[in-house]
Order: sequence, then structure tokens, then C-alpha cells
Amino acid sequence: MTKLQTEVLVIGGGSTGLGVVRDAAMRGFATVLVDRSDLATGTTGRFHGLLHSGGRYVVKDPKAAEECIHENRILRKIAADVIEDTGGYFLTTPIDDPEFADKFVEGCRATDVPCEEVPVAEVLRKEPRLNPGITRAFAVPDGSLDSWKMVWACARSAEANGARILTYHEVLRMIVEGGAVKGAVVRDNRSGEEVQIDADFVVNASGAWAGKLAEMAGCEVTVFPGKGIMVAMNHRLVNTVVNRCSMPSDGDIIVPARGVAVIGTTDVKVADPDEWEITREEVQKMLSAGENLVPGFRQARALRVWGGVRPLYQEKVDSADTRDVTRAHALLNHRTRDGVERFVTITGGKFCTLRLMAEETMDAVCGELGVQRPCRTADEPLPDSEEKRYYWLGARVQQREETLHQDQLICECEFVPRRGLEAAMLRRPTTNLDDIRRVLRLGMGPCQGGFCIYRATGILHQLQTISSSVANRSLLDFLQERWKGVRPALYGDQLRQVRLDEWIYQGVLNVGHLPADEAQGSGREEVKT
Amino acid sequence: MSADVVVLGAGLSGLTAALRLAEGGLRTVLVAQGVGATHLAPPTIDVLGYDPELVESPAQALPAFAAAHADHPYARISAETVAAGIGWFRDKVPGLGYVGSLDENLLVPTAVGAAKPTAIVPEAMAAGDLRSGGRFVFVGLRAFKSFYPAYLAENLCRAKLSSGATVEARGIQLNDPGQEPDVTCMEYARQFERPEFRKAVTSELLPQLQAEEKVGFPSVLGLDDHRAVWQELQDVLQRPVFEVPSLPPSVPGIRLFRALRKALRSAGGRLVLGPVAVGAETSNGTVDALVVQASANRPTTYAAKWFVLATGGFATGAIDLDSFGEVRETVLGLPVAGVPDVEALRFSPGYFEDHPMARAGLAVDEHLRPVDADGNPAFGNVYAVGAVLGGAEPWREHSGNGLAIATGFAAASEILEGAS
Amino acid sequence: METMELVRGSLDHCVKCTICETFCPVSNVTPLFPGPKYVGPQAERLRTGEGSPDASLDYCSACGICTFVCPQGVKVAEINAKARAAMKAEHGVPLRDRLIARTTLMGKLGTPVAPVANWFFGNQPLRRLVEKTVKVHHEAPMPRYAGRTFQSWARSHTPLQDAAHAVVLFHGCNINYFEPKLGEMAVAVLEHNGLRVLIPPQECCGLPLQSNGLFDDARSYIRKLTQSFLPYANRGYEVLAMSTSCGLMLKREAREMLDLQDDEDLKTVSAHTYDICEFLLALHDHGELKTDFKPLPMTVTYHPPCQLMGHWMGKPALDLFALIPELKVEETDAECCGMAGTYGLKAEKYDIAMAVGAPVFQQVKDVRPDLVASDGETCRWQIQKATGVESVHPVEVLYKAYGLGG
Repeated sequence: MTKLQTEVLVIGGGSTGLGVVRDAAMRGFATVLVDRSDLATGTTGRFHGLLHSGGRYVVKDPKAAEECIHENRILRKIAADVIEDTGGYFLTTPIDDPEFADKFVEGCRATDVPCEEVPVAEVLRKEPRLNPGITRAFAVPDGSLDSWKMVWACARSAEANGARILTYHEVLRMIVEGGAVKGAVVRDNRSGEEVQIDADFVVNASGAWAGKLAEMAGCEVTVFPGKGIMVAMNHRLVNTVVNRCSMPSDGDIIVPARGVAVIGTTDVKVADPDEWEITREEVQKMLSAGENLVPGFRQARALRVWGGVRPLYQEKVDSADTRDVTRAHALLNHRTRDGVERFVTITGGKFCTLRLMAEETMDAVCGELGVQRPCRTADEPLPDSEEKRYYWLGARVQQREETLHQDQLICECEFVPRRGLEAAMLRRPTTNLDDIRRVLRLGMGPCQGGFCIYRATGILHQLQTISSSVANRSLLDFLQERWKGVRPALYGDQLRQVRLDEWIYQGVLNVGHLPADEAQGSGREEVKT
Repeated sequence: MSADVVVLGAGLSGLTAALRLAEGGLRTVLVAQGVGATHLAPPTIDVLGYDPELVESPAQALPAFAAAHADHPYARISAETVAAGIGWFRDKVPGLGYVGSLDENLLVPTAVGAAKPTAIVPEAMAAGDLRSGGRFVFVGLRAFKSFYPAYLAENLCRAKLSSGATVEARGIQLNDPGQEPDVTCMEYARQFERPEFRKAVTSELLPQLQAEEKVGFPSVLGLDDHRAVWQELQDVLQRPVFEVPSLPPSVPGIRLFRALRKALRSAGGRLVLGPVAVGAETSNGTVDALVVQASANRPTTYAAKWFVLATGGFATGAIDLDSFGEVRETVLGLPVAGVPDVEALRFSPGYFEDHPMARAGLAVDEHLRPVDADGNPAFGNVYAVGAVLGGAEPWREHSGNGLAIATGFAAASEILEGAS
Repeated sequence: METMELVRGSLDHCVKCTICETFCPVSNVTPLFPGPKYVGPQAERLRTGEGSPDASLDYCSACGICTFVCPQGVKVAEINAKARAAMKAEHGVPLRDRLIARTTLMGKLGTPVAPVANWFFGNQPLRRLVEKTVKVHHEAPMPRYAGRTFQSWARSHTPLQDAAHAVVLFHGCNINYFEPKLGEMAVAVLEHNGLRVLIPPQECCGLPLQSNGLFDDARSYIRKLTQSFLPYANRGYEVLAMSTSCGLMLKREAREMLDLQDDEDLKTVSAHTYDICEFLLALHDHGELKTDFKPLPMTVTYHPPCQLMGHWMGKPALDLFALIPELKVEETDAECCGMAGTYGLKAEKYDIAMAVGAPVFQQVKDVRPDLVASDGETCRWQIQKATGVESVHPVEVLYKAYGLGG
């Protein structure tokens, strides 16, 4: 078995883990991060992309609100390239209790969340699709952020500081000796090879899966996976984040995220973070909620539905509605809590507080190791954010304009050029087009890969010198992956698209009858959502 | 506006019906919101490719297929009508030089290197037939992003043919003239019409060819002068040359569209593109006029004795599934058959699994008139053809253009019979 | 919902089928324009309304074919036009575009000094100077000032007295300043069919302003024009447009492009607006068109303007020509002559326009017709300039066939 030696081992390649690995590496620790899959394939890549101002929590969960605005200000400094500064509104819609608005204003004041009342007419001028029945509107510093870009940026920053990031490495067991965690045995899920990683300290940052990992070290941690679903609409029905000014409920936020508008979300406790599905009722609930904020929402084109499981942690919870569980994070020191040394679990919290969670975690790790190394993550900008310029929606079109006569456009919906695609394929050798998708947004536009899946497969085959059999698998898996997301909200314009895509892949290309076995397997199995 | 027949929809089924009606002497107007699927898919006449196993002879398979699929459009028209329709169609577009027959499916390579069963193909695709194996070389063009010859060829080499023959195939990537990095199939088609370009391509390619190799190009070998382009390539390369279709748009499909449009014009048919059909004026179980939204702020009516719906299915919005899960036919509000209950499984989790909703569409009587749940025609003078018909999954069966032509021809024949 | 959202929202219908790109006359001849799907529904998803990052958008000729062929109902050309207007609002509109967009002004200035103006526009050294200074290509076709206006003729013309039905003629700037004779022919054709023709004073519809991104100015022009016709529309009279593009402006474009979807006056006028050939064909459908056409033994090549296709009414001129004995009609196969209003005048676009029109010119040269007929005035200028074949409005062919010229 291959052996690796490190100081800090971080388990989990979501936002929490990436925050921790960056923080640890920047404090000078030799650090390794492992994830059973690619980065950001769990909850992190499955949220609506809202950079919270904290407004959402000012009445219900002031501590969470304070954390949000604190981190919001820091992220704007260190991660501008990840953020689109859309601003946000809290709106009293016809179905909202008008009295909540005053509580909201009061809450903002108490938690230091900047908030300014705006004339409704001005809001409607800026966002003409909003419900004209809105009675009050408040502007807050919400924003839209790209979780994948954030994760890649953290990973690059960590690697630049010496960290190693091992994707597709799944923890098989924890090494526990003499009441202390000494590392973990992991398996490379692509080669099947096992690797023993010896570490001075292990950080469990596996989010909704934290209970499973903690158990391997003999610690009982109960994380409530709280399922939330989101629907991406084909274009930005609004260019500003809009929230209902009321207590948090289902489908009360629309986030303009890159080319789409995302409505979210629900909150339903599930038993297992890997075993749940999206129901018709949930989707209907989102569409009706959308109609309240943007009349005509149901006639607009839904692109895709997905769900994520929040890792909600509270020592004691018996409610079925996980929305009552605090959004604040929890740092569990297993020495004091369970008598297991050199092991902490960081869970709960929100994407926006990833940096703060990492800081607290590594402060605790330093304490346990008896060293003093200050946190530097709040001051040093992430790669590509050095110039502190916010991301601009038109950036990709502008890039394309500059290379109009130098490069091919492969994914036309999301403006993914061939050179960019090839560079990404070479940088992260993978035959999984879904991994490429998360880096480049390949196939994430209206046609959901209808045109680019074939092109990307051909390029992959050429570039990686893989067999056509492996290439076929990449193509079929990606078709299945795209289908998974469109299926729950398949109606209207998106059904037209799916039908055209079927004509292309089944009618013209006949991918259902590719040679040998690989055509049989994929797409026929019941794939877990 | 008034005519004898109004055909709604400019895809292959609508064009077929309109052409036959106009040639039959009826004043025919074809009205469509836009151009149809001829621009998207290759003009191979797929009659029946899978049931669900590979079909070797559509002519032999059709009667049993129709008997086993009572809701399928093929169960409404006879195999003879299918053959007659396709025969008639081939004669109307001599420029495409269709080859093949309903007796035996060809197997032509697709751009991923799968073998596709189809009955009749334009002449420039015929040499790609894989049934008896052989040696093939596929040619990629420098700036064409929708064709990957090495990938295609490698898959083809693994094709399992019932004849036991084997395919030897390889890919070549050309560095043909030009500076632009992203050249569309339309632009390549025009390039191929220039002698200098053809010369550059053939001189680069010729030294690389091996004995006995047939040469497959992406389907961009000229538009208006296609036949001359194709023949010259064969002459210069001294071996069979064929086209392989890929992603939309389809240059060969556009050739077919142009040929049909021209034939329709010569036959005196009128083509009105743009208006959106919004309803109809009806009386006593017949449609008197089609109502369309004109460019001006007023509805416009197209009165006629007969109407042919060639509006397409879910792909065009002719049949719409809304966000609440309701399904409707959008022009005349005709009953849609085969719609699974809203709580039932409509689309399966696996992409290649059976999706019950996929077969929803109009049910028709033996005259191709849409019927209600009791099997009675909704209107005495309305016919439905092509993809708006339910009971079929043409993209899986590989029956698309065959169904379009056969039903378009059959409905037009019904009308002509009634008129005489 | 505002028009902006109706147009923008239509991008949801795009399934990327690329039918529009196969038809686009401009992207089919130059790589400078990445095509209607690209600058339309595709780039629009990445625009926030605050200016567009794609300068290539300006190569769109606004011919409108993309919208017309789209089977899914995407308002491609309209999305492009709005994005371009936003871009121009940010970067400013060049003096040249401001000038050529003011047809009424150009007409009023040129008419009294027609000989001088015509000499000026026909003088190559001067045209080169114009090209250098205001970027109007020296070879681009220019109409000739008639030296009188159609309105002045109309004021002295006595409408048919005992007519059962009256119509209004929307003659447009072209007839008023450049082709008054065509206006007279149209009146003669209509009167031959027993119609009383009313010709109220009227100015530019604002289309050239709109297609050059000057939306505010275009809006005030179309509103003014609407008021010229509103009293007649209210009485149920048809407004017959002699120019396809100006007629389309009244029918649909102004409402969609200029956020006038809810303008009741414009909607009323739109509901009563007809292309003149569309109207004549409708008369024929009702058995009310006189068909006493004399044999016209000649060959006419008919070119349907792009903007005519936007009327969504087919090609009524062709159906009318079919009524004329011995007339041999050949239709052009290519979609566009390249002119697209003012596009082909612009120095930086002249070559593109000529390349777009090349197949049309070639067909005309091959057929060697006696006449070219086309409903659009700029198409006629372009084709006549490029081929030397006299190019007329279809109404002129009808006029000849009725034997009205004496």
C-alpha cells in the first residue's frame, strides 16, 4: 500500500473542506485533502449561489445574520472574481405579512446588515418582471457567487501553499491508535489502489456525510441532512437577488446566477444524504412561489432542477422541519466531546461562512497541536481576485469577441471555447465530462449539451488518447447526467429542447446502438439523484 | 385568403402533402410559423430501423409491426401506401438521386461511428453502406467542429455486422485552406463549390489514401452544385466518396428543402411563412377557416375546404405540455391520445428507458383524420400527418422521414380522392 | 409585461437548432458577423441591459429573416436590434447614421435643389469625399430626387367621387421625394378598381432611425405618423403601404421594437394596415379585383424583399402577376439583395452588402429580364445599380397590364 505522510488531513472536498485546506496550508501546515469524488460534487455545487447579506436571518437567527454580513464583507475583498455584485432586494409581496417589514428593518439595524428602503416604482423600473403588487422594498448587499469558481480558487491557493488535493479518494477507514486519530486509509476510486495517509491531525469536513466519517473514528455525530431543491430558469428573469420580506419559507429567493435565475429552496429532513429524490410536489411548489415573485414565471422556461442536502447540526433536534435548526456552524472537538484526540469535525454553517469556519477550525487545530500560527485568509485575495474586480456577466461574450477569429466555440450556450476546453481537459485529466462541466459550465445552457456533448467527446477522444469505448462511456454518462436534471421540470420549451436533443443523439447519431457493451449500461440504470 | 387546401407546417410531412395536393390540381397554401426539421436532420428515408431489434427489411417488417402497434400511424396506412408514397416522393426530387429500397435497410455510419439502419438515402451517402464491410477512411476538416473522424472510425471498426463482415476504418484530419478557425457546414458547403478549394482538398488527401478505401466526408459537399462536387471528388480521388451526417444544421436536408420548395412553387402551391396559427372558425363539425396571428394587429383567416395539420409534435410546441402537467394540441385543441396520468410515470429516470409521454400525440382514423376518445373524427375535413401523430417514437424506431412522407402522401391522396 | 420582456423572453423558445444561421444573408458571406443565434438568443442571456460586450452585433443588417424562418417563435432580429440600440446608447451613434436615418429631412433638403443634389450624388470625386467624411460608400446606390413631391400632386388630384369604398395611401418618403410617379400609378390602379384614394399628409415612419439604434427619435416619428392615419383607421379605412419596410413598421415592428405594444392608437392603425399588393390580392380573393389585364409579353424577375417576408403573408405580388396574361415571372432564389435599408450605404458594410446580393445580381444577369420587380425601394435601387436592369414596384407592372399608362 502506498503511504503518505502529512500534518493535517482534511476529509471532504466541498466548500468547508476547501476553506480548511487553504487556511491550513497558508498557516504553513503540510496538508492533504481527500474526497471520494471530484471537488464540489456534494452540497457545495448544489446550492443557489447566493452571497448572503445576512438579511434572510436578521429576524430569525441574528447570530447567523451577523456571521453572514461579516463574511460577506471579507469575501468581497478576497474573492471578487467569484462574486457578481448584483445587490439584493427584500420585497413585501402580496402574500407577505406587511408588519414583518418593520421587524426586518429593526433586525438589520441590530445585526449591522446594511439595508435601505427603496421606492417600489424604482424597483419595478429596474426589474420590470417583478410582481407589481409589491408594497415595500429594501436593498441589501446580497450578491451572486459561483460556488465552483470559489472551490477551484481555494484549491489553487492551497496548492500554491503546498497542499495536495486528492480527488476520487474515498476514506475506507480511520486509523485510530491509543485514543488518537492518526490518519486514514483511502482508496483511489479510479485505479482501485489503496493509500494510507498518516497525519498528525484529521479534520472531518464532510458536510452532510460528517456523521458517517466520525463514526469511523468511533464518535457519534448526528447531522441532519436537510434537502433543498432549486429550479434554474433559462434566463435571468431578474438581475438582482430577490427575497421575500418574511420569515424564511419555501421558494422565497431568486438568485440571478450567471446566465440563469435560480429559485430556491425547500428544506426537508432526509434520512440519508445519498438516498432521496425530487418530487413533483416540490417542483410545483417552486413554480408557484416563482409566480408570486415574477408573474408569468410558469410560462418562462425551466432549465433544470437539482437538490442539495444541507448539513444541519444541533446537539438535540426533534423537529421534522429542519428549517428550525440553526444555520450557524458547529465545530466539534472530539477530544473534549468524545475522548478521541487529534480529530475535529466542522459541520453545519453556510457556503458564505466557509472562510470563518475554516479559521475557527484551524485555530482549534493549532490549539490542540500547541502551536501558534495566525490565520491569513481574510487578507490575502484568492487567485484571479487580486484586482478586486467583481465578476461581470458579459465577460465570456467579451472574451469570445476577442477570439472570434482565433478559436472555435464548442459549447455555444455557455460560450466555452475549444482552447479553454482542451486546457481544462489537460489540466485535470479525467474522462468524466461532468467534471469538465463544473470547471467550464460545459453543457449547462439551454440545450443542456445537445450540441456540445458530441463535440466534447470527440475532442476528449483526440486529446486524451482514450479508446472510443471510454469516450462512448463519457458521452453516454453525460447524456444521462443532463437528463437527470431536466426530467423533474420537463415541460414547455425545455421539452421542445429535449425532443430535439433526442432527435440528434438517437435519431441522427444513433448513440443507443454504439458498438459493444457500453451502450447497454449507461442510461438504463436507475441513477440516484 | 382562400384556397382549396391549407397545409399547416413546413416540415417534410407538410411539404410532401402540399406538393402532392398542388400537383393534384388543388389550390394549395402551405402556412407555417417557420422552417421545419428538413434543415436539421439528414434526408435519409428511415422507414423502420428497430423493432426494437435491428430491422433488416422494412417491407417485410411493416405488416407485423403495424399489427403489433395498434396506435402507431403505420397501423393506419397500408404498407402499399407507404411504398407508393415513398416511390412518388423519390420521383419528385430527382436531384437528390435517392438509392435503396424498402426491401432492405442499408447501414450507414453516423458521426459517432454507430451504424444506422435506413431504407433509402441520397446517392452521395450510399457508398457509406457498411453491410458488406470493407475499408473506409473518414476525413475531418480543419475548422469544422462537428465531426471527429478518429473517434467515428474507431467505433466503426468494432461494428458487429450480421453478415459477419468486418469494417476497417481510420480517420484523417485535413489542413484545408482558410484562416477562420470556426467554419460552419454552410460555409464549407460553399467552399466545396469552389474548384480551387476542391483541388486543395484532393491534393492534400490523395497521397494519404490507401487501396480500396472508400472516403467519408462530413455532409458539406456543396449545396446547389452538390452533385457536380460529389462526382468530381469521386473522379479525382478515384474511389467512392460519401457523406456522413452530423449535428444540425444538415446541408443535405437543406438541399431537400430547396428541391421541395421549388417543386411546390412550380406546381402552383403557395408558401406563407411567419404567421402563428391561433385557432379556427368551425361550423357543423368542419373547419371553415384557419385563424392566424398576422404581422399586423389583426387575425387573418385562411378559408379552405380541407386542412392538413403537419405541425410537429412536442418538438415544435404543436403539442404542449405545460408547467401544471396538462397536455394540449395548440392549434385546434384536438384531443391528445396516450397521455399518462399526471401522477403516473411520464418520463423515466434513465435516459434510454421507456418514456410513456414520448408517444403522446393525435390519434387518427384510417383516413388520417384526428379522432376523439370514441374514435370519431373531430372534424370531417381535418387531416393530421407527421410528428403530430401519436403512438410512435420515430427517433428510436428510426422511422421519422418515412412516416412523414407516407402520412403526408396518404392524407393528400385522401383529399384528392374526395375532391375528384 | 413590457415589450422589452416579450421580445427578450422569446429567447426561451430557442432550441439552438441554427435554422436562423443557415438563412442569415450576412453571416453566410462574412465571418465578421457571428450570426443571428449567437448575437441573439445566445448572447442575450449574458446581457444585463447595461450595454453589450459584443461589438460584432453591429454587423447585423436587420433584414429580419432570422425571425421569419424561426420555427420556435424566437424574435431573433428584435433581440438584436434592442441590444444594438443599447450598445449605441452607450457608445454613441455616428453622424453618418444620424444623417441617413432622417429620410424626411433629406427629402425636404434635396427636393428644391434636385438637379444639384442629383449631380452631387452622381459625382464620383464628390462621393469619395462623402465616403471619407461621413463614411457613406461612394459606390452605394442613391435615389434621384424628383424635384417635386407626391404630396403636391396629391393636393391637386381629385379623388374618385362616387366610390363605394375608400382607402388611405401610405406612400412613404420614397414616393414623396424620389418616385412620385409610382404614387400616381398606385392611385390609378386603385381607382381603376373603383376605390376612392385618400392621401393625407404624412412623414417618415422612423424605421431608418430605429434600424440605426435611435429609438427615442424613431418613437416620436411613428407616433406622429400614427396620428396622421388614426382618424381614417377609426372609420375603418384600410391604410395601404407602398413600402414593405415602412408598412411593416406600422404593422408590427414599432410595437415590438420600440416598446409600443400597449399604444392603442398604433394598435388601431396596425390593425388596418395592408401592404398594397396584399390588399389587392385580398380584393381578388373576394372577387372584387378587376382582372381586365392586357397581355404583357415580357419577363419579370421578382425579388421579394426581406422585410416583405416579415409581413407573414407570402408573396402577394407573385399571385397578382399570375393573373396577367403572357407575363413570364421568375422569382429570385437568394433571400436578400444586401441593401437592408441603409446597411449597404455604409462604407464599412458596402462590400458585405454586395456579397450578400451577388447571387441575386447573378440571377438577374443570367435571366436578362425586361424588368425587375421588387416591393422595397432600397432593394430596387440596389438591384438596378448592380445589374443595370430597370427595377420597379409590382404595382407598376399591374399599372402597365391594366393599360393605364395610355
